[in-house]
This record gives sequence, structure tokens and C-alpha cells, in this order.
Amino acid sequence: LLLSVVCFAPQNYPLYIRSVPTENELKFHYTVHTSLDVVDEKISAMGKALVDQRELYLGLLYPTEDYKVYGYVTNSRVKFVMVVDSSNTALRDNEIRSMFRKLHNSYTDIMCNPFYNPGDRIHSRAFDSMVNSMMMQVC
Amino acid sequence: MSVPDYMQCAEDHQTLLVVVQPIGIVPEESFFRIYKRISAVSQVNVRDSQRVLYIRYRHHYPPENNEWGDFQTHRKVVGLITITDCSSAKDWPQTFEKFHLHKELYSATLYDSRLFVFGLQGEIAEQPRTDVAFYPSYDECETVEKRIEDFIESLFIVLESKRLDRATDKSGDKIPLLCVPFEKKDFVGLDTDSRHYKKRCQGRMRKHVGDLCLQAGMLQDSLVHYHMAVELLRSVNDFLWLGAALEGLCSASVIYHYPGGTGGKVGSRRAQGGSLSAEAGNRHRPGKNGILFLLCALTSNGINADTSAEIGRAKNCLSPEDIIDKYKEAISYYGKYKNAGVIELEACVKAVKVLAIQKRSMEASEFLQNAVYINLRQLSEEEKIQRYSILSELYERIGFHRKSAFFKRIAAMQCAAPSIPEPGWRACYKLLLETLPGYSLSLDPNDFSQGTHKGWAAVQMRLLHELVYASRRMGNPALCVRHLSFLLQTMLDFLSDQEKKDVTQSLESYTAKCPGTMEYITLPDGLKLPPVPFTKLPIVRSVKLLNLPASLRPHKVKSLLGQSVSTKSPFIYSPIIAHSREEKSKKIEFQWVQGDVCEVQLMVYNPMPFELRVENMGLLTTGVEFEPLPAALSLPAESGLYPVTLVGVPQTTGQITVNGYHTSVFGVFSDCLLDNLPGVKTNGCTVEVIPALPRLQISTSLPRSAHALQPSTGDEIFTNVSVQLYNGESQQLIIKLENIGTEPLEQLEVTAKTVNTKEKLYGDFLTWNLEDTLSQFPLKPGKTATLTVNIKVKLDFSCQENLLQDLSDDGISVSGLPLSSPFRQVVKPRVETKPINPQESSKSGDFSHVKTLEAILNFKYSGGPGHVEGYYRTLALGLHVEVEPSVFFTRVSTLPATSTRQCHLLLDVFNSTEHELTISARNNEDLILHAGECQRMAIQVDKFNFESFPETPADGTQFANAKQLEEERQQAKGLEINSKLDIWEASVEGVLNQVVLENLQLAPLQWGDFAGNCNFLGICYLAEDKPKIDIYFIISITVQ
Repeated sequence: LLLSVVCFAPQNYPLYIRSVPTENELKFHYTVHTSLDVVDEKISAMGKALVDQRELYLGLLYPTEDYKVYGYVTNSRVKFVMVVDSSNTALRDNEIRSMFRKLHNSYTDIMCNPFYNPGDRIHSRAFDSMVNSMMMQVC
Repeated sequence: MSVPDYMQCAEDHQTLLVVVQPIGIVPEESFFRIYKRISAVSQVNVRDSQRVLYIRYRHHYPPENNEWGDFQTHRKVVGLITITDCSSAKDWPQTFEKFHLHKELYSATLYDSRLFVFGLQGEIAEQPRTDVAFYPSYDECETVEKRIEDFIESLFIVLESKRLDRATDKSGDKIPLLCVPFEKKDFVGLDTDSRHYKKRCQGRMRKHVGDLCLQAGMLQDSLVHYHMAVELLRSVNDFLWLGAALEGLCSASVIYHYPGGTGGKVGSRRAQGGSLSAEAGNRHRPGKNGILFLLCALTSNGINADTSAEIGRAKNCLSPEDIIDKYKEAISYYGKYKNAGVIELEACVKAVKVLAIQKRSMEASEFLQNAVYINLRQLSEEEKIQRYSILSELYERIGFHRKSAFFKRIAAMQCAAPSIPEPGWRACYKLLLETLPGYSLSLDPNDFSQGTHKGWAAVQMRLLHELVYASRRMGNPALCVRHLSFLLQTMLDFLSDQEKKDVTQSLESYTAKCPGTMEYITLPDGLKLPPVPFTKLPIVRSVKLLNLPASLRPHKVKSLLGQSVSTKSPFIYSPIIAHSREEKSKKIEFQWVQGDVCEVQLMVYNPMPFELRVENMGLLTTGVEFEPLPAALSLPAESGLYPVTLVGVPQTTGQITVNGYHTSVFGVFSDCLLDNLPGVKTNGCTVEVIPALPRLQISTSLPRSAHALQPSTGDEIFTNVSVQLYNGESQQLIIKLENIGTEPLEQLEVTAKTVNTKEKLYGDFLTWNLEDTLSQFPLKPGKTATLTVNIKVKLDFSCQENLLQDLSDDGISVSGLPLSSPFRQVVKPRVETKPINPQESSKSGDFSHVKTLEAILNFKYSGGPGHVEGYYRTLALGLHVEVEPSVFFTRVSTLPATSTRQCHLLLDVFNSTEHELTISARNNEDLILHAGECQRMAIQVDKFNFESFPETPADGTQFANAKQLEEERQQAKGLEINSKLDIWEASVEGVLNQVVLENLQLAPLQWGDFAGNCNFLGICYLAEDKPKIDIYFIISITVQ
């Protein structure tokens, strides 16, 4: 079960937050917010590696009792984080990876929109529906 | 063992634990003073062996932790120092007894103990005793440090003897089994002779000896012993002790690799009181590295010290990577035992500290993650708080600020958990404040002024709400108001409508008790909370300084000096000038006047979903003493842009700068500076204030008119008056001038200007005599003067096409009539038909008959200090005169008279008014003309010698008015100069043009040489129903 999808600007503020059970949204906010520590750490560790060889997928950031948090960072340091239910063991690492790639493509489409200012919150119907379909597919 | 010591770090393994405690009643302050001095002696070079002993002091140590002393010797209390206050000798035995009782508590592990007695003097104090030291008071105890060093030396002797004793225990003797408290019952009835058991005993003892070596400063020896212990214990699967041996190995390696220590930056933590910091500070002395190095070389296992030292160290000591692996292993072994939870937790903490030094945050976070899940037992609330704050601190140390903030927040919440009988709101608040940086939130509203807020709104809002709540429960309403206003100001975009309502309601209820101010709030720990001005309630979009109303605007008397400034450069164009001009354009062109109300217009809007009441809204200025006149306003819900005018009176002169405005919204006072407002449009904020000027108010005898003049020059008209006059009529306009200002009116100039005059105007329209008025000057404030202006209208109505139309409709052809038979033109029926037609025409084209004249009277006045500075004010009075036609001459012709010196002038006079008229001309009889009637009148005139005209006094007598003659003469002169031919100046020009032509033709025939002469004629008439008004009308006819 995919619970939450979040995009961050390079300055680590959220561009897009979407979580499925909306009643406990704050909890997701906390989870995702703290996961940024790990993202930062992983990025700084990767900084030494050659940029072009860098793997964008950060893998499992940290598991908690209820959730697994996965991360992905683009070359422009835009970060994607997905929170998945821990009980969902069917989900393979490869699937997560492909989902991130989809997310990345969709984000690139948004950036191509001349009316979108980089750094603004994302209000895109296409992006929304893509995230929706992803959540549906995983459920 | 149940109480974890989160402060522990790897190098604590090499310390000796000494407990310092007070017995009896010792003032806390004095105790901690002594404790501080004692704990300063944390590192002692033992005299003969050059080894270094490290001491760890505690003023509180749970005895059950002491029971784990065999497991890890640094947990063992080996020394006890008691401090007591004993004033009289008779209390002494009792005190001493207490000391012994106290010793009992740790008796199992104690090596030695000391008693420091303060306050006792006399013979008891004289006795030299090793275990008791007497000091007269807390201030006179210079030898405390020396005593402690002696004490430590005695500890060392015991330690050394134990170490040697255990180290030399060879396998021949029976080795006792060391065990931890919970193990004891497991070994009951175990076969003590089995190989397995023996190995276990050996292994545990090895490990123990390793501990002792480490404590005694023999690092290399300890490494060797630990390695051996690991081998032994691994073979018998004694996991708990294997873990301990591994941890010992790690500790020794850490001590070797990181002589600076891993516990660094411990700082002042809340757990064990302030004394810790001194201890922590002293633990790592400079030069320790050197000592340690020496130490390692010297203490290696004695046989072949110099050669194997290096090899041994390289072999035995773990590499930094191995340390972590071994820690992991040790922790996994500890994890097998539920009762060793504290050991596991502490090992985790120690490992994290090592990783923090190694800057391996990811692995450290894994250790911490593991530590979070170590379940000790039902923790008390205080322990929970401690645990969360330690976690937070450790996360902070590995650079996970967000995680750190998260745990700190949980700790804060725990402080005020409902299960706690007395919630510590103060502690909660303090911890919450510490989480702010982790959530990238600062309490300075200026950090949020740039553009839209970007951040974790939901989380930050939650935190702010909690701050508000905590500060409220702390009983600090000012703080609460400050946080709440911060929340409202910075998170406005993220609050839902309902939340906005809730927040403002609670804000209002708090401010009822404690209004929000613009002061800094200083917290007890020194943090300063900057004030939060409500720049978004309401949002200001533009600020515009307004000029004074036109009538009050000051003008500068133009001087040459002023002009030279603008044309300083000899170049017509230069980029430098263009630049400076640009700057200039930002400056405001107009001036404000001291003592006069000045206005600033703000465009504001209310972003709230309800009506916003803004009270006490006024201007903030600098430069000039300014008396703001605050306004209160109420903005409707989510209003659009809404203009608000703020006013004030400058009290002195100079440059005034409008910095911002102040408001009071929901009981919070805010000073909003324009510099801090994003997206405010302004036309400049600095304006000059010039000295005071008088103010003039005028009132007139004529009614005000709604008819506004369209001024061509941009002058604004103060008042408009209007009057209706018949052509040729004159009227007096009395103007009352009142000085309503505070300065005397010293100077007055009056000028008149006629605007949009397409009409030809004869004579002076407006005349006045200023001298009478000026004689009353200077006009004191409140005084009144009058000025009389004569209005006289003389217009040419002859071009009225409608009228001509009317006339030709009557069948009278003006142009077609030969002048030689003028009588034929006097057609009787015309008189009869007349009354009908003009009425019709007056119905159809009534307005077109009316002509308007507009003029502006400008009053230029000055006085007071402003006059000295060369400023003046102008006041304009608009005058709107509607001129109705009175009498027309539809035809003019001449007829020779009996005398050749004279001739008859025949005039067809048409009364276009609705009144009956009497026309008197010269000596003729009065002619009564009914409304709309046209009659011919004949006037005998002298033929006029053009050349001699100006000098002819006889003609002058024919005019009713001498002054009139003067005017006519002027006009004639003008004609004489201007006109060659064909120019007729008269009100009947259109008609007369024909006559002129005829006259020109006729003149040689009938008048011969009189062709160039002029004839003048004056006609006056009276309106019968308005006898009061003296109407006169003059026609001048020039025949050339």
C-alpha cells in the first residue's frame, strides 16, 4: 500500500505532498520530514562519487514499525520520497525504482511547463493523476 | 541494573568510579562547591609508575548498578568521599557513625573511603587520621585537592595489588566464577569441575583482568587480556561475557585511537546537575596524547618491551572499522539477554558516540534506531523524558537535526503528559524552543517576509500551536500572545478559514489580559523574541503620500537661484544627468506645510474571512515632529483593495520620512515598517515640510454653483459661483476673505483670468479695487476682510443664427433692402407677427441664446514664517456667468437729416427678453418694447468728423455716462489703429455687415466726404419689472 508521495525542492521544503489516509496527515509529515536527514546524509556521502555515475535511487531510507520510507534524488537535487506500508512485502525494490522513475518523468513534464516557476508548489492535474494511478496500482 | 547512564562513553571504561556524597545536613551550594573542586582532580599521574589514573566522580549512584561491578569494573564504586557539616565536638561521634553506615552501602566494592568534616575545630580535629580530614569552614580548605590525590594514590595501590593478584592467578588455582546478579541462580548446582565451566571461569577472569589493566592505565596489557578473553568465551558460548569482552576491546581501541575522547561536547546536560560540565571539561587535557603514547610504550608486557610494543599494538588494537563491527557483535550478544538491556543501551550510546567522531552518520543512525527499540521496562515519565532528550542529542551529534528535533519535541510533550501530576510546562516550553531550528523555524518574523513561505507548514504550525499552549500553561500570557501572533502572521496562508477564526478568537481572549506589544520579550535563558508586527492584517499594497488640496498647496516664489540648480550642467544631454534625474523623480515634488493636516493614502485589503477591525491606525515618521491622528477602520471580509487615508500634522519643519504605520489588531499593537513589507508600491516616502502659512477662506455674495469649471492650466478651483446676467448688465460681487489659519495674512494679490472665451468680450469683464481690502491687512487669524468685484458683461449676440433665421422667416430680408427706401421696411404687420415668432423660437432654441462666460479669480496670499521663506498659497474662485441676450439690432441704416451736419440713424431694435423694455437713447423719447417685439427707432446724430473725434467733448455729453464715453473712445482708437476697412465693432455685426457695404457705396453719393466718419450711439434701456437693476447697453457703430 503506497501511503504517501512527497517531492522536495533542493532546499528541502516540500513541493508536493500527497498521502492517502488524510486524517493522520501530520504523522506522515513528521515521518517524511525526519527522513530528510537520511536523504541529506546519503547525498553527502554520494557527493564524492562521480556525478554522472550516480545512482538516483537512494533505496530504503529507514524502516519503522509501520512504514518503509524510500528515497530518490534527481541530478538537480529535487528529492522524491515514498512511504509504503511495512506489511506490503510483495513490493519489490525494482518496482519502487520504476515508480520513482515515473515520478521523475512526470516532474520533468511539469518543469517543461513554461508557466511553472521552479520552486513553487506543484498544482498539476497530470501529476496528481499520475500519483493517483500509482497509488491505485500498488494498493 | 535498571538505570542507564546515557552520559557514558567508551573511555569511561578506564576510569575509577568515586562517589562523593554528603551526610547529615550539608548546604547544597557548599556541597557542590567542594564537589567541583574534588572532581577537578580527574586525572592523576601516579608517582612511581608514570601511569595515569582517570577518576569519574558521581554524587549519586544507584547501589544496584554497583552490583554489576564485576561485569565491568568501571561500574564498581571503588572510592567513597563523604562530606559532612559538624559544628560541635559532641556531634562528632554521631557523624562518624553515620560515615561508617554510609560506607556499608558500597562496602562490597570499596577500596577506600574518606570523610571530609567541615566546621569542626578543637582537639578532635587535631588528631591526625588518614581517613578523616578536618576543615574549619568551606572557605578554608586549600588542601582538599592534595587530599584527593593522596586518596587516589591509595586507590591505585589497591587496584594495582588486585590487578597483580588476578593477573598472576594461574590455571593451577581454582578461579572463582564471576557473574552478574541475574546469573547467580543459573549456576546453582552446575558441575564446577567440567572443562567447560573452567574455561568459562578463565574467560571471565581474563576479561576482568583486562578491565583492571585498563583502569590501571595499562592499555596494551588490557588489549591482550581482552583478546584472550574473547577467544576463551567464544569457545564456551558465554555470550553475555563475550559481549563484555568485545566491548572492552572496543573501548581500549577507542581510547587508543581517539585520545580526544568521544564524549566531547557533552556540555551541560540536564541529567546530573551542573557539576558534570566541569568534569567533562577536565577530562581531556592537552598533552594527554603524548602521555598516552608514552604509556603504551612503557606498559606493554614487560618482557621485551621495546621491540614488541609496536607490533603488539598493531596486532591487538582494533582498526576504526573493526571497532564498529565488534560493537555490533557485542550489542547483538547483549541483545540475547533481556536483563542486560541497560548494558545494551549504553553500548549503543557509546558506539554512536564513536561513530559520531568517525562521521559515519548512517551507521550511527542504525545504532540509534536499534537503541530506540530496546525495551528496558516500564519507564517512569522522567526517565522517558531523559531518554528522548538523549536520543535527540545523539541525533543532533550525528547531524540528523530533523530527527533530533522530532525526539526533542516528543520529550517536550512527555514533560507535559497528562499522566504526570504536575506537568512541567516550563521544561516543555524550553525543549520546544530547542526544536525550532530542526524544523527550520525561527521566531523572527523578518525571516518570513521574503515572498511566500516555503517550508513544512503543517509541522511548523503544530509546533507553534504547542508553543502557544505551553506558554499559556506556563502562565506567561505575553509570551503566549507573541507566539500566537507569530503563528497568525507567518502561517496565514496555510490556516483554513475555521483555523483563522479560532486563532484570532483565542488571540483576542489573551490580549484582553495582556495586550501584544512591540517590545522584545526576553526569556529567562537569554533568548530574545522579536516583536511580530501584523503586516498581513491588513495587507498593505501601496502607500502614497498625498499632496495638500489645491487651495492649501504652497508655491515657491520663483527665484533665479532655483532655476540655476536644474541647469547646472552645460550639456544638453549627458547620461550622468539622466541618471540623477531618475533619482530625482523618486523624490516627491510637493511639500507639506507645518501645522496643516497632511494625508497618506494606503491601499489595503483584508485577507481574513471575517470583518477585520483595525484600531489606532496611524503613521510612523522620522525627521520631523509629527502628530499622527490615528484612525480606526473596519474592513469587510476578504475585501478587495480598500483605500485608507491616514492623516497627521507636522509640527516642525524639515524633511519628513514616512517609515511605516502602526496598528492595533486583535489587541496586538504592531509597528509595520515599509522596508520590511514585500510588494508595497510607493511614490517615495520623504517629503519636505515648509514653515506654516496662513489659510484663507472665501465666501461670496453669489450662490455657489454646481457647475465646475474645467481649468485649462491645472489650477483647481476652490469654489464656484454662478450668476445670470443680461447682456450689458453689471453686478457687484462681494467676496469675504476670512483668515482661518493660525498665521497672520500679510500679502494678497488678486488676478483674474477669463477662460474659454470664444466670444468677443467688450470692456472689462471684472474690475476691483484692492486698496480698500489691503488697508485691513495684515489680517489676524479669524479676521475677515471684503473685496468687491464688479462684473460687467458685454457680448456680441449678433451672430445668433437662430435669431436671424427668425427674422428672415418674417419675410424681412436684411440684405436685400435698399437703403434709399428705409421706410418701406417699416412694415406694420411685423409688429403684429412678432409676438408669435419669438415665443416659438424661445421655445425651440432657448438655451442657444444663452452664452456663458467663465473666469477665474486667483488669490495669491502669504504670511507668517512661510512668507519669510518665500512661499505663498493660491486660492481660485471660479466665476460662471450666463449671459442672456437682451436687445438686438436687426437692421441699421442711415438717412440724411435736414442738416448736412447731421443724419438719422435708423435702428431696428428687437427685444429678445421676456420683459418689457424701455429704451432711452440720447435725447429721444423713451421707446417701450414689449417682449419679443421689434421696432425701428430713429436717432439723429451729428455727422462725425473722424479725425477730430477724440477731441470732441460735445459728443461726450450725448452719452449717458462719462465713463462710457471714455470706453468708447478707447475702442474707437483701437479701431482707428487696427482697422482699415470693413470692421464693425458692434453687437449687431452680422446684420451690419450688409449695411457697411451699402454705406460704403452710398457714402460718396450722400455724405460725400463723410465717408470716413464714425458715428456713436448710446442706448440705455430698463427692464420694467426689475427696476432695481440698472441695465444699460451701449452700441458703438463705426462707419468708415
